[in-house]
Amino acid sequence: MPEQPFPPEGVIAGGGAMDLSATEAGTVRRPPAAPDGAGEPAPPAAGPAETADRPRSLWSDAWRDLRRNPVFLASALVILFLAVISVWPSLIASGSPLKCDLARAQQGSAPGHPFGFDGQGCDVYTRTVYGARTSVVVGVCATLGVALLGSVLGALAGFFGGWWDGVLSRITDVFFAIPVVLGGLVLLSVVTANSVWPVVGFIVLLGWPQISRIARGSVITVQQNDYVQAARALGASPARLLLRHIAPNAVAPVIVVATIALGTYIALEATLSYLGVGLKPPSVSWGIDISAASPYVRTAPHALLWPSGALAVTVLAFIMLGDAVRDALDPKLR
Amino acid sequence: MLLDVRDLKVEFRTRDGIARAVNGVSFGVDAGETLAVLGESGSGKSVTAQAVMGILDSPPGRITGGEVLFQGRDLLRLGEEERRRVRGAGMAMIFQDALSSLNPVLTVGDQLGEMFVVHRGMSRKDARAKAVELMDRVRIPGARERVKQYPHQFSGGMRQRIMIAMAIALEPALIIADEPTTALDVTVQAQVMDLLAELRREYRMGLVLITHDLGVVADVADRIAVMYAGRIVESAPVHDIYKAPAHPYTRGLLDSVPRLDLKGRELTAIRGLPPNLTRIPPGCAFHPRCPMARDVCRSDEPPLYAVSEVRGSACHFRTECLHA
Repeated sequence: MPEQPFPPEGVIAGGGAMDLSATEAGTVRRPPAAPDGAGEPAPPAAGPAETADRPRSLWSDAWRDLRRNPVFLASALVILFLAVISVWPSLIASGSPLKCDLARAQQGSAPGHPFGFDGQGCDVYTRTVYGARTSVVVGVCATLGVALLGSVLGALAGFFGGWWDGVLSRITDVFFAIPVVLGGLVLLSVVTANSVWPVVGFIVLLGWPQISRIARGSVITVQQNDYVQAARALGASPARLLLRHIAPNAVAPVIVVATIALGTYIALEATLSYLGVGLKPPSVSWGIDISAASPYVRTAPHALLWPSGALAVTVLAFIMLGDAVRDALDPKLR
Repeated sequence: MLLDVRDLKVEFRTRDGIARAVNGVSFGVDAGETLAVLGESGSGKSVTAQAVMGILDSPPGRITGGEVLFQGRDLLRLGEEERRRVRGAGMAMIFQDALSSLNPVLTVGDQLGEMFVVHRGMSRKDARAKAVELMDRVRIPGARERVKQYPHQFSGGMRQRIMIAMAIALEPALIIADEPTTALDVTVQAQVMDLLAELRREYRMGLVLITHDLGVVADVADRIAVMYAGRIVESAPVHDIYKAPAHPYTRGLLDSVPRLDLKGRELTAIRGLPPNLTRIPPGCAFHPRCPMARDVCRSDEPPLYAVSEVRGSACHFRTECLHA
């Protein structure tokens, strides 16, 4: 018996009723990478060749792609280096970033002081090394906060829909309308505490709607998959559906956007510190140093260039890492 | 009666208006019985199944009337939590495309074991052992090794076996299979259907087989319900239908199947298209396509008349059709 459906597939009403037959063509897609040892009937159990072939998931495939990607390796190396020096800056910088000697203000590089001195006579090299910590802490903490808050709210909105989704979507619209720098000037200028946390809090406050939108869209897409319906038909509870079946399949875009955003959050911290509403001296931050050096750009350009260069390399590294991760997780986007 | 669906009505809100996908469908399934629900795309068979399982997407779908009596309880009156407990343990469903019905990021063992974790509160280790047992049960070779593999590492037929294993895991009283073999090769189709029939006999399960493949139906079904535009137009034991259909639509379906004994002749097709569910024709919904249609068909909607004790047909001219 041929497997033709009898009548030609017809014009039928739109809407949910029809989604059911949408897959009637029954394409069984097999990822090209899958070395499918099992035909029908399947071969005898586990020969040596088959055991060598470890089960592969999306994540292990992505990791295999990443390891071969020079962009990933380069950016990961830079980030690793940044992470190390932000935890142990004294490894490569022996002095203190706060020990300054006005007598040496704006001097060029000297033995033991490869980057020279800034307008206050502080060692630019030491300050650049110590500035990494602020950037990394702000970037990582803000990203974690944004990703956590945004994905939880977005996933709930996408999963449950209804009024909660409507309210949340309007709230994200409102937040999208707030200009980041202006918002920072207004909100952070009233904060007197001189630490990274108000900055982190501000970035989380303004950053979560972006992730929330992506998480919502991703959850809605994943939710329409047959396996979610199948899990529901076999009695999985809403919590289990969301956490075990939807979340692992929906998380990839969130990770990608969050990684790229990390770089921009570092830049945002520098911007806010430059404007004087982020961190303030005596904290050490590339933004503060750039701000302090900019009046002397003609006489002592090195004091501006080193922290700016460090900032640019750091932001670039995170954005390239995000790109590489995106390519690995979603090859179709390349 | 294991499952007794009475006058079930389902609507979908669409941009073009309300699509009446299921319009008063009634059928019953006994333990150990196989009912085939037959119909072309858009006839409402899958929506009926989803409404019975309680996994209808709502909105836009909405059950507007009827009863779904399962082991004597009306499922439509149960709370969502009670309903969830029935799914998987009392009744389970097998889907058309096994690849998309299995979660790509979980190993098959995790997914099979999940049934026992969710419904029986088993530990992960015990659940894994159960998963291996089930994979053996549906005759997947090398179950012990393959339990750690991901769905994409299995062939189409093997994936459908895994779906079946998930469905029978808790030995439910009823299984609804929504086009279980449509996505498979013809040779594999037969193996999967045989497996399903064998398991049904062994566990004395009721089986609702939703299909548009008349060949599949002839071998395994006890009864057939033919659906058109959200209604059952003919319901009869399988042999009666193949001998002489009592509805012109059923006749059209049978005539459009190629047959070895009528080699060389041109196939007859049902002319026209299935109706738009937002604008179902008045009277008998099939009249615009029916070769036997007369004036009464355009005005009066035929109820499901009894043709014999075990047979029903929703046609004004059922006797003529029977003897045509």
